[in-house]
Amino acid sequence: MKRIKYILLLFILLGVSSSFAQDKEVKIRVDGLSCPFCAYGLEKKLNDIEGVENIHIDFEKGLVTLNIVGSQKISEDEIKSKVEEAGFTPKKIEISDFKKTSTKTIK
Amino acid sequence: MKKSKLNIWFVVLAVCAFSLTNELLAQGPPINTDSPILLGLEGGGFRTFGKIVSTDLGETYIQPLAIPYNLTTNLQIGAIQPFVTRFPKNGENQSGFGNLSLFAKQMLLQIDSKAKTFRSLLKFTQTFPTGASSVSADVYSSQFMLVTGFVTLDYSLNTSIGYSFVSENLPDNLVYNFAFGYPLLPQKYPPFQLNLYLELNGQHTFDVNKSILFLSPGIQLITSSIFLVESSLQFPIVDDIGIMNFTYSLGIRYLIF
Repeated sequence: MKRIKYILLLFILLGVSSSFAQDKEVKIRVDGLSCPFCAYGLEKKLNDIEGVENIHIDFEKGLVTLNIVGSQKISEDEIKSKVEEAGFTPKKIEISDFKKTSTKTIK
Repeated sequence: MKKSKLNIWFVVLAVCAFSLTNELLAQGPPINTDSPILLGLEGGGFRTFGKIVSTDLGETYIQPLAIPYNLTTNLQIGAIQPFVTRFPKNGENQSGFGNLSLFAKQMLLQIDSKAKTFRSLLKFTQTFPTGASSVSADVYSSQFMLVTGFVTLDYSLNTSIGYSFVSENLPDNLVYNFAFGYPLLPQKYPPFQLNLYLELNGQHTFDVNKSILFLSPGIQLITSSIFLVESSLQFPIVDDIGIMNFTYSLGIRYLIF
């Protein structure tokens, strides 16, 4: 019985850790971002990537951040190509693991 | 119609038609001057506005619809169809579709840096005499235009210069525009912006050697990433034909999907 409990616990831990590893946070330095109304095309192109959520565009920093959820694989080349298709110049791209944290609203 | 009157009417139509083409091709700010930023959308957007051109001969109201489509990142095509209503001081009101224009824009140069961009493109516009003869010139015209812009988060500068070849032995035109844009609110995304513009929009008609140069203040409210509303007045500061009073436009740009 004890052995079964250990095996179950192991499965749960493996499941949790692998789901954390699947979500990614992507930071893209984009040059040419100077007109907010022109950035809609960039948002649309990045949304074509499967699993993309929470696109945030910081014009002052020239930085686009987004999350990719699920088991989708993403490559720097794909992101680069989407930014170029939108008419901007991609620079440094950073892809890192992203762990969702639960948030509580304190009233 | 006497030749001098024909020339004046042609110049008025040319001001309506060619300045209209410039405005409609602008994909982002500014209001009356073309922009070299192509937005990166395949399609799904349109632009329309109402424009009143007031002259001593009467008023003309123009309601165009422009639909652009990006074939590639650097090549855009599109069509512009205006609907025109004339309110002449002497004579009955006339209305109908104006001449259809097809256009292509090819990006020539793009230099991007952090929060800044310098771009230049070549635009070709072909206008066909498809409109009702009472509200549009019965001519073909082909316009080549160089459009250049430097856009930062603090201000924008846009210029365009174009030459129009006109059929039926009617005079060719030189069109030139300059725009300075100043955002009043912080630049963020999704956008909520209030932008002020001061523009110079000129046209010289060859053969008759008539020039018109407008000073054009304008204001633009961007309420979301897909919708903006804008308004502009144009006062003539050079008016060789001596009949132009002002133009006023109020319009929207909307990206459907």
